[in-house]
Amino acid sequence: MGTEAVRPGRPAIRFRPGATVDFVVVGSGAAGGIMAKELATAGFTVVVLEQGPRVEAEQFEHDEIKTFFQSALQNNPAGFTFRRTEADAARPGRIQLLYHRLVGGGSVMFTANYWRFREIDFAERSRLGEVAGTGLADWPITYRDLEPYYTRAEWELGVSGVPGLFDPPRSRRYPLPPLPVKSSGVLFERGARALGLHPQPSPLAILSRPYHGRRACQHCGYCLAFGCEFGAKSSTLVTVIPLAEATGRCEIRADSYVRKIEVDDRGRVTGATYLDADKREHFQPARAVVLCCNGAETPRLLLMSTSSLFPNGLANSSGVVGKYLMFNGLSSASGVFERPLNEFKSVMATRVLYDFYDSDPRRGFYGGGALDARAFVYPTLFALGGLPHDAPSWGAEYKRMLREYYTRTMNVDGHSTSLPLETNSISLDPEVKDAWGLPALRVTYRDHPDDLAMMRFLQDKAVEILEAAGARQTWRQPVQEATLAAHLLGTCRMGNDPRTSVVDQYHRTHDVRNLFICDGSSLVTGGRGQPTCTIQALAYRAGEHIAALARRGEI
Amino acid sequence: MFDDALSRRAFLTVSGAAVASAWLAADPDELRASLAHAARAREAPCAPAWEFFTAEQAADVEAIAAQIVPTDDTPGAREARVVSFVDHSLATWAVPQREPFIQGLDGLNGDVEKRWPGTGRFASLPPERQLELLRAQEQTPFFRQMRFATLVGMFSLPSYGGNAGKLGWRLIGFEDRYVWQPPFGDYDAEAAGRGH
Repeated sequence: MGTEAVRPGRPAIRFRPGATVDFVVVGSGAAGGIMAKELATAGFTVVVLEQGPRVEAEQFEHDEIKTFFQSALQNNPAGFTFRRTEADAARPGRIQLLYHRLVGGGSVMFTANYWRFREIDFAERSRLGEVAGTGLADWPITYRDLEPYYTRAEWELGVSGVPGLFDPPRSRRYPLPPLPVKSSGVLFERGARALGLHPQPSPLAILSRPYHGRRACQHCGYCLAFGCEFGAKSSTLVTVIPLAEATGRCEIRADSYVRKIEVDDRGRVTGATYLDADKREHFQPARAVVLCCNGAETPRLLLMSTSSLFPNGLANSSGVVGKYLMFNGLSSASGVFERPLNEFKSVMATRVLYDFYDSDPRRGFYGGGALDARAFVYPTLFALGGLPHDAPSWGAEYKRMLREYYTRTMNVDGHSTSLPLETNSISLDPEVKDAWGLPALRVTYRDHPDDLAMMRFLQDKAVEILEAAGARQTWRQPVQEATLAAHLLGTCRMGNDPRTSVVDQYHRTHDVRNLFICDGSSLVTGGRGQPTCTIQALAYRAGEHIAALARRGEI
Repeated sequence: MFDDALSRRAFLTVSGAAVASAWLAADPDELRASLAHAARAREAPCAPAWEFFTAEQAADVEAIAAQIVPTDDTPGAREARVVSFVDHSLATWAVPQREPFIQGLDGLNGDVEKRWPGTGRFASLPPERQLELLRAQEQTPFFRQMRFATLVGMFSLPSYGGNAGKLGWRLIGFEDRYVWQPPFGDYDAEAAGRGH
């Protein structure tokens, strides 16, 4: 079990320009950071090419303007287009596709909810039967296959929690106890128990105590969309990336935007062509390539990597690269209480319940999910949209209500399934270009009616919980078709059949022997709304197998 | 950007919920003291130097912001120097918003002239007429832009030019400390047996 202390390993190795390395890993986020560390500690040379800059933990700040209105470390919102169906014209700006460009990627900015998938997530198709018109499928692996790697992720990265009634079997306890409960958690628990439900502490990739030389959470309140200035959030930036660099075999090359994976005339990949911060082009040769760019950028890169051998995009003989995109359902209800909760302090969620996790045919639709007690309390965002919909939006009464509601409001959010649909996809926009002059991401996405039904179901439960907890007023965010997507899943799905999937169960592409993919795109189903834990468990498992293949000369 | 894409609500009717004064977030005496301090600062002899606005534009923007978050017995947009935030933003990171912003402001002053010929600019209208005009315009892109800019200026980091003296934060009971310890709120304090 990798529980060695993190040693600051910088300055790390810098490879000579043009030198061939064993592996190029594209992307340094939730999966890429782990992949780099696994391959480097196994003895291989690794260059990680990361689109964004390197920002160290102590440079993060609580700046809502930079974070929400200037997209400083996010993808450029102008760099993609959106349409509901293939029949529509794709236009920029109609949906917010949110991911992060910096060393550590989304693992730096995520809320840090760290839910394992369960047995059912891997075998839902055979358990439930076909869901007509969808691509719901079993995974080629089971929960049991992945369990050791979930444990490894929790112990190596640092996760706080305690198992609850519905948790899947685990081989080891959580390494750290849960974070202290907030007022929202106390109220959620009160309301849920009154309804006969089973709330439990939220598992979080945030340290409740010092761990591996890192500081514990200081409860600053800025987790979602912000980097942790204390290094208490278990991002790859502060956990595995320093370990990878400490090997002396891994270079994290920031500000390196890969535009093409190159192939030779035998159909093997030879390395990556990328643009540096000054948009100068370079080629990094490698014996093998691992894509960990996320569920939007990975298929885009494959589709941009056309050649005479791969005219429809690299590793796309199946034609399913970019298809079966899943976002996860999100619904939200708010409640205001008599006395201050002060939700602006500490982590985003401290209580969750999984009573509605499994799909239940009696509901009349496919779907499952979880509910958690949430803060929505950054002051500027709350002022813009935190009050009930029928409240005034400016003037004296608005001001009075803002003063009353800011410290007394909490949310209960529903996190739920997205059915994999072949028609929901990432493709290349034929006209619009991004800031680098490369084809913009084109998103085609329409929620399945069952996904919307599940969101409404959970929202009804959320309101019941808030009312049972004693809220004096509740209100709902409208359940509607997706307008924001932070989970980008399923677009290079894993499977045994090369005609219907992109990677095999060890993340090797069916078409190219020395090309691997491991990130949100590998997921066959999207779970119930918190995919990072599973993406990271997959990365540990894939890293171990890829290293073993390389050692045996089978790449 | 100064758009209200993140503002999730439509502009609807006033909620009738009555609330006791005990609910107010910050210590009223402290806020009243800061109100007096802000008033003294505004009466200081040196006029502010604007980075982008003319003095007339600044006066209009300040007057609109003061209707969006008015000053009553506690500070509002005026005391939090929202106009400085808007001016600084349009001079720096929000440059692309200059043209629509100034066009919108000119449009508003055009309406002032149409409704009440000869009264001058928005800032010179009596407060009830300012309110009447803005109520009629609250669905316009310019008003939405002003609302967005006012609220961002009121509640964002003071280094951007607004939220002077952290008045916006103090008004709603937010405190920008980086380190907290439980209990965080009344209900977890109660549950831990430490409070009340």
